[in-house]
Amino acid sequence: MLIQTLVTGLAIGGIYALMAVGYSLVFSILNFSNFAYGSIIMLGAYVGYYLLMKAGLPLAVSVAGSVMGAAFLCYLNERMAYSTLRKRNAASLYFMISAMGTAIFLENLVYATIGSRFYAFPEIITQQNITFWGASIGVLDVFAIVFSFTAIYMLHYFLQHSRVGIAIRAASYDMQVCQLNGVNITRLVGWVFLLAGALAGLSGMFLGMKYMVYPTMGWITNKAYIAAVIGGLGSLPGAVVGGLILGVLETLVSTYVSSVIRDVFSFSLLVVLLLVLPTGLFGKYLEEKV
Amino acid sequence: MRTKWLALSLAWVFAVTLAGCGSSQSSGDADVIRIGQAVALTGDSSMWGQAEKNALEMEVEKINAKGGVLGKKLKLIAYDTRADATEAVNVTKRLLGEGVVGIIGPGQSGVAIAMSSVTEPGKVPLIATTATNPKVTMDDKTSKVRKYSFRTCFIDPFQGTVAAQFAAKELKARTAAVIYDVGSDYSAWLGKYFIAEFERQGLKVVANEAFRSGELDFRAILGKVKEAGPDVLFIPTMQKEAALVMKQSADLGIKARFLGGDGWGSPDLITLGGSAVEGAYFVNLASLDDPDIQNFIKDYKEKYHQDPILPNPVMAIDGLYALIDAITRANSTDPVKIAEQLEKTKDLPVLSGKLTIDPVTHDPLNKPAVIQEVKDGKFIFKAKFVTQ
Repeated sequence: MLIQTLVTGLAIGGIYALMAVGYSLVFSILNFSNFAYGSIIMLGAYVGYYLLMKAGLPLAVSVAGSVMGAAFLCYLNERMAYSTLRKRNAASLYFMISAMGTAIFLENLVYATIGSRFYAFPEIITQQNITFWGASIGVLDVFAIVFSFTAIYMLHYFLQHSRVGIAIRAASYDMQVCQLNGVNITRLVGWVFLLAGALAGLSGMFLGMKYMVYPTMGWITNKAYIAAVIGGLGSLPGAVVGGLILGVLETLVSTYVSSVIRDVFSFSLLVVLLLVLPTGLFGKYLEEKV
Repeated sequence: MRTKWLALSLAWVFAVTLAGCGSSQSSGDADVIRIGQAVALTGDSSMWGQAEKNALEMEVEKINAKGGVLGKKLKLIAYDTRADATEAVNVTKRLLGEGVVGIIGPGQSGVAIAMSSVTEPGKVPLIATTATNPKVTMDDKTSKVRKYSFRTCFIDPFQGTVAAQFAAKELKARTAAVIYDVGSDYSAWLGKYFIAEFERQGLKVVANEAFRSGELDFRAILGKVKEAGPDVLFIPTMQKEAALVMKQSADLGIKARFLGGDGWGSPDLITLGGSAVEGAYFVNLASLDDPDIQNFIKDYKEKYHQDPILPNPVMAIDGLYALIDAITRANSTDPVKIAEQLEKTKDLPVLSGKLTIDPVTHDPLNKPAVIQEVKDGKFIFKAKFVTQ
């Protein structure tokens, strides 16, 4: 049973990790939690669903469409809700209020236009499981984990080796100095939101396939936020490790204590971590990250 | 400092707007009879809620076309509860403020119980549609019947008993596991009644696991179910959770037969659960292939171009007929007199058959339960049980 619990925990943690990376990416540059991210994930799932079911496109094209669609929406989200605040040098509190407003706006927009029905992806990836050492895992989960980590690795490579990536990393240390050195911050922030949005589209597809597509599905990103805090907000490797740790811990609590108190545990962990270890496991500097 | 205050006040304005401040209008014209409907038009249960509202609108139109009731037209006032107890209490106060003679709905037990805290002192009859928990019409503190609460559906002990007997006799189960939603009165109690009857048959419940409302991933608790290896897994939840539980059971390689209650009765169960729900059984209030309701289904399809999502619309129309019958017999629109007559409802022809209200419990007597099976992506009629 312990092996089964660990395997399940890693499968859940993999999805948390993917979302947490998107969160952390935005945080590392703008120093605020983009609570609208969950809604972008939700919209990404709807885009993927429509491309696959209504437009009848193949799965790979739909995934690509969902990634591009969510990236575009995330970019639009920054343009409309945050860019003016950014130019005014507003405090991060304003960004967060704006983000929450956007999240609720988008959710209700979907309620009002598409409706509250649940949609499920058809069983393209067969409902089969792989069994080893007495533990089982769905084929889709294995696929999701491999795909997520490939995407995260590609992002990592991009940040380490491309010009834009280097600029993003520089801006995450000090945006003003970076700007003084001739980096176009508006374009850079646009890039960050595009990348975060692309990950949101991928997460949305996996969440939709694993669970279902509905207007409030984005709230699961609360967990991604906790995962990002565990790893240290703003740190990408931290977000991955944080996601996996949270997934495994939650599954252990659900299995050996009670599934009812799982969220009590997760959010207590968030509060305790912010008090005791505000930089998380991989956080860089203390005052500005939390 | 100034900016901080500004931000705080902004947040406050935001919160107030979210909470929504509804004001009640005063009722003017006397030649209409106002009938309230408290129903989930948005949120997880909205699929049934919308169908419920559609069905009542259609019936009210028909009745008004025939001249209405007591020479007055009926006016349906439907408000959204979002299947949320707090919201429903607000909505109920608003309906009472608008002078309704009775309220039809809600479909959720927890919501109905919360609403009775307004309708009992307000002395307005409340007819719940698919709220199957006994506490909807019985107050546990005083163990007396709630004078103004009624319902048109069967109750959970009966449904739990049917499910347990079906598991024991038809499915030949020796062991069972239960997974229930701890945040829903419906789910928690239905699970308990199933366990009580299953154990009364001398059989064993090997796992009883709770989850919180809104849960998406059940694999942690399913790991425990897998370890216990039951013959039957009873899932007394709504269709969304049930479909996810069954899908994830397949991921873990759980071999048990699945069994559920009337919360499953939506075509969604199949689209959401896919091949994982094949061969599952559930107890329901009504079935699309029931010959008694074919006319209703035909009219509904003509008007709304889709199948009604059963059983809520049927139960709501039963409630409307019962209310109209009581108004007619009382020859009055006084809610107190209507409630007195509702209690005496006997052999009233309604959509689902004949309705007799038990004056002691305010539950319908002899209400049939249907067992349906999921087969080739369809709900197939399997067996019928009658309360006694």
